[in-house]
Amino acid sequence: MTIRSNRDHAQHYRPRMTCLKKVEALVVEMQDSKSGVTATEQKLNVTTIPHVMTGQDILAWIANKMKMDAEEAQALGTMLVAYGYIYPLQDHKKLILKPDGSFFRFQTPYFWPVQKWQAEDIDYAIYLAKRNMRKKGTLEVYEQARYNEFHKWLNPKWDFIVMQATEQYRANKQRQKADRVVFDCQERAYWIVQRPPPRAHSALDCMDRLVDPNDETRTYDHYRRTTIYLQQAMARSRVKSTVSLGALVKYINTYKNHDPFLAPCTPSNPWLSEDDTYWELNLPTVEVPTKMRVERWSFSLMDLFNDPRGRKDFKLFLKKEFSGENMAFWEAAEDMVWGSAASMADQSQTIFKTFLIPGAPRWINIDGRTMGLTVKGLEHPHRYVLDAAQTHVFLLMKKDTFFRYLKSPVYKDMQKRAIVPPLHNYSDAQVEQNARNRRPGTDPILIWQQLETERKAADLAGKPVDISTIKNKIDRK
Amino acid sequence: MNRWRRSVGELQARRQQVTECEQALAALSKVTACFQQMASSLGSNTDGSGLREELADIRAMAHRIYTGLHKRLITLLTEMEQRQEDREQVERLWVLFLSSLETFQKDLQKTSSLQELFPLTQRRDRSTLIKTGYSGGSEVAARAATVQTPWVSGEEERCPDLQKQISRMDSLLQEMLQTVNVPVWTVEATQEAWLEVGKEEHHDDETLEDLMQVEVISQDSTTTGCCHHLNCRLGCLLCLVN
Repeated sequence: MTIRSNRDHAQHYRPRMTCLKKVEALVVEMQDSKSGVTATEQKLNVTTIPHVMTGQDILAWIANKMKMDAEEAQALGTMLVAYGYIYPLQDHKKLILKPDGSFFRFQTPYFWPVQKWQAEDIDYAIYLAKRNMRKKGTLEVYEQARYNEFHKWLNPKWDFIVMQATEQYRANKQRQKADRVVFDCQERAYWIVQRPPPRAHSALDCMDRLVDPNDETRTYDHYRRTTIYLQQAMARSRVKSTVSLGALVKYINTYKNHDPFLAPCTPSNPWLSEDDTYWELNLPTVEVPTKMRVERWSFSLMDLFNDPRGRKDFKLFLKKEFSGENMAFWEAAEDMVWGSAASMADQSQTIFKTFLIPGAPRWINIDGRTMGLTVKGLEHPHRYVLDAAQTHVFLLMKKDTFFRYLKSPVYKDMQKRAIVPPLHNYSDAQVEQNARNRRPGTDPILIWQQLETERKAADLAGKPVDISTIKNKIDRK
Repeated sequence: MNRWRRSVGELQARRQQVTECEQALAALSKVTACFQQMASSLGSNTDGSGLREELADIRAMAHRIYTGLHKRLITLLTEMEQRQEDREQVERLWVLFLSSLETFQKDLQKTSSLQELFPLTQRRDRSTLIKTGYSGGSEVAARAATVQTPWVSGEEERCPDLQKQISRMDSLLQEMLQTVNVPVWTVEATQEAWLEVGKEEHHDDETLEDLMQVEVISQDSTTTGCCHHLNCRLGCLLCLVN
């Protein structure tokens, strides 16, 4: 069973049939005796072969007919040669249109590149065997390699290949000399296009095809699925390009100073200067973060949460405000999403007891409908059962707590304390010295262990603040 | 039945049948090769009703050969016992026959679409034929006409027209793959690689490469190399002389 992992519904292949059909129409016009390219004769030793054109004639005709300038005509002409509709007589391996007096000829339609008839390996093997028969040592290195491979892979059919090659060779010999030369040239040009030499650019290259473009079997099921897809595509809400582009511009303006490609890393890019201060200063466990980092936290709540240092700071703020249950619930839901399947049932039970039942120690304040859905879902817990509640809680934090955090003394204090590391400008000699004095980097396992211990300590410290005990304290006072 | 009990006559008859099949395969190969050579000039300036008739004749001949060969091979493969050397040979013939049919069917499909692409029903259609430099001639057809079936003809049906022949061949191939269980990979080639090098006699001593070489020199001896610089002998991409 093939696994189809893309969703663009057979747009993945490059259907060149329509393009090739137009090219074919152009070629037919080109060879018209009255209005096409002027053809001359080619003189070999004693024979003349008709229907040969020069590169510049072709170029001039294309430019005139399609009303393009020379550069475009050159590109189109090269495309014709690269696809194999016209082949060069001199220098047959380079498939370009030379805008000078070099000679070209039309390819016979039997050898046109049509997707329906793929050039099969058996035919290629027959062709190579035929080349072998002519004279010893006419195969190139890559062709010899392919020949040997075919002898191994197509071994059962090898006798047929040799037999057919012999017969085709003999049949060809019956022809007159001129025709023989023409046919040999044509065949050679065809195989240069279909099986290009290694490291040569091939016009017939296309990305992986998941669907055969000539597959004519369109069943009822296929049309039903296509219709559903298109209906859904039409029903999707659209955004005006001004709006989406505006959003993109806003995003770029916000983040452009933080992009490591667009703005220089302070103090210095470790890959360039061999000095890892930048990484040291930006560790997740660092005490005092850099100013850029702190600024980044103010962009959005997601940025804040994605940075472990930022999360720590936010939790500090929430502890002061006694509203840590939202954050704790969000983190618990994240643990469930990323956790192991075995722990799913236990985790869901703890979360239910801690956050969701009325009167729980850290009861979260979400609306009734979401609460109902979540509780019902918890009967059969799966990874994403808390998704609705998690989103709701996140939105609550985003709309309310986040802005209070940004205005709070915790954040402002952090902004004041944040350091701005000076920019190092190392000369080349200093870079080399840095490279020599480089310490081995910190093992990521150690960093992870540090994070884990810190997390456990934070969990213990930030244990549910029982409202009842505080009430008691206040009462006592 | 014990091998010793079989009459000598039966053994001889069988061996004769196998050689007949081999000859038929060689004939089929010859005919399909001629067909391919002639089909390559479809759509070119030598195309015409004459060429298409010749193609139809060759097609009919091929049809006769392969239907007869199919019948005989089927009977050979189904009637037998486990006789090793014979079985291998017949299986080999079967596989070669299969590949021969597949290649021929591809050629037929190409012919069919080319004939549709370049219809010759009207006079002005002749101007759409591509000028490829051929000068035509029916030598290949003459060669194909010399092929004969190794058995006495008489019992075959008439050759169907092109489309029907293609579809019938499709069903024939399907049937072949289903009736007899001959795994393709068990057949081994009897020829070593590179054995056919230089095997054919060369009446003329020139090869295509020599001819092409001659051509380049005779056309324009000053522009070897990519640019007109005197010392440039390289291909365009590597030229640094400029």
